[in-house]
Amino acid sequence: MLDQIDPSRAISEAADRVARTTRGGLLKQAGVGAAILLGGVCTPAAAAATSQKQDQAILNYALVLEYLQSSFYTEAERMGALKGALARQAEVVGAHEREHVRALRAVLGPVAIARPRFDYRGVTEDPSAFRDTAVAFEDLAVAAYKEQAPRVQSKELLASLLSIHSVEARHAAWIRYLAGRLPAPDAFDDPLPRRRVVAIVEDTRFIVAPAKTSGKKPPRFTG
Amino acid sequence: MTITAPERHRLRRAGLVAGALVACAGLCVTAVSLLSPDRSQTSLLPSPPASALGFARPTPLASDAHLARWAPVDAVATARRAPDPRAPPVARISTRTPEHTRNIVQLLGRTRERSGRLWVHVRLAIVPNGATGWVPRRALGGYVFVHTRLVIDRRRMRAVLLRDGRAILRAKVGIGKRAWPTPSGQFYVRNRLTRYRSPAYGPLAFGTSARSPVLTDWPAGGYVGIHGTDQPELLPGRVSHGCVRMANRDIVRLGRLMPVGTPVTVH
Repeated sequence: MLDQIDPSRAISEAADRVARTTRGGLLKQAGVGAAILLGGVCTPAAAAATSQKQDQAILNYALVLEYLQSSFYTEAERMGALKGALARQAEVVGAHEREHVRALRAVLGPVAIARPRFDYRGVTEDPSAFRDTAVAFEDLAVAAYKEQAPRVQSKELLASLLSIHSVEARHAAWIRYLAGRLPAPDAFDDPLPRRRVVAIVEDTRFIVAPAKTSGKKPPRFTG
Repeated sequence: MTITAPERHRLRRAGLVAGALVACAGLCVTAVSLLSPDRSQTSLLPSPPASALGFARPTPLASDAHLARWAPVDAVATARRAPDPRAPPVARISTRTPEHTRNIVQLLGRTRERSGRLWVHVRLAIVPNGATGWVPRRALGGYVFVHTRLVIDRRRMRAVLLRDGRAILRAKVGIGKRAWPTPSGQFYVRNRLTRYRSPAYGPLAFGTSARSPVLTDWPAGGYVGIHGTDQPELLPGRVSHGCVRMANRDIVRLGRLMPVGTPVTVH
């Protein structure tokens, strides 16, 4: 099932539609980069000292995925291109994802990474592309959380992340149903390694560098 | 005593019911015992840990009534009168402003061609002021949403910054002299300049999409800015070549509150 995430058309098509920047370059420009998504790799020798940092890295990793999803649903709702059951799904799931972002940011405090800029390249304005991308995002989130769960050091944190993980699984089932796909295709779900998640997110080119809208040039306005 | 056939049948049915009830009771006892482990089993099931995250009830998006949208121009494009590649051109849109910042456009609407191509209706920073056009979605970057609006009242010489429809900053302003009027209409903030060495513009200047209708040969195209001043004693008044001037204290406050992309209404 997870192997089908990238070929689920929406993400790969979105990536193909706008091929203006080299692969991976945008993530680096955005200051998010693979380093953030890949952060938190902890050596066993330093486990005691770094367990808190490792949990923080996992939280920030989760936060990037939640940013990606919450901005996606929020933009879809604001652009108003969705109707009926799909619009309702975006509205409800968007509210959940924004709450996930809020909760993760609250627990991370000052070490929470900033929200990157996103360019969904028209996917939020096309019901069919939106639906396919939402399936991919939700499957991706479920698999990504699953992979991180055994690495979480704090039991309290693990309990919290599991409560997000199961909601992501419900989202995946919901949008799969709306997309005419089997909501629960397998008896067991596979986790998705972080490198695969990063590669998939990079391929979308949805994370972009912020537009440089401020400068230091002397103004030449009419004065 | 003899038992008739119907009575025998009733008795047999009652016996079956009683047997079924006994069997059900047995099953219930077994289930309850399985779900209520003894002390040694209970000790293997510790209480779940408290959540590390504070969860709140999800809240829907706030009203979009005061929302404005903008997007950076990612690729040079031709704005057209209609969402059609054969429609007459309105203007060529560049990716950079004269101040070397990324050019941006305010979004007014969108539509999809039969072929599936998405077009976006945008406000343009060209003369005549107020011009709009259609550009392909693929020429633009990611959408950005702002909740602010700046309203400039030329008659009262006052500016009010609104966020979600509520005033969060009021300031006296200087506007263009009668020969070089500040244009009226709907515009947007295109960029934000700081740390330049030009005291006449104060510590901070915003570039807007408005252009002087008379100073068309002004360097860089005669764009109207909103900026500070080294002559605060002239405010409020008709003192400029079309720009909106504010006391430096006010422009610094505006700089903290007003993001790029904010719509500007001048009346």
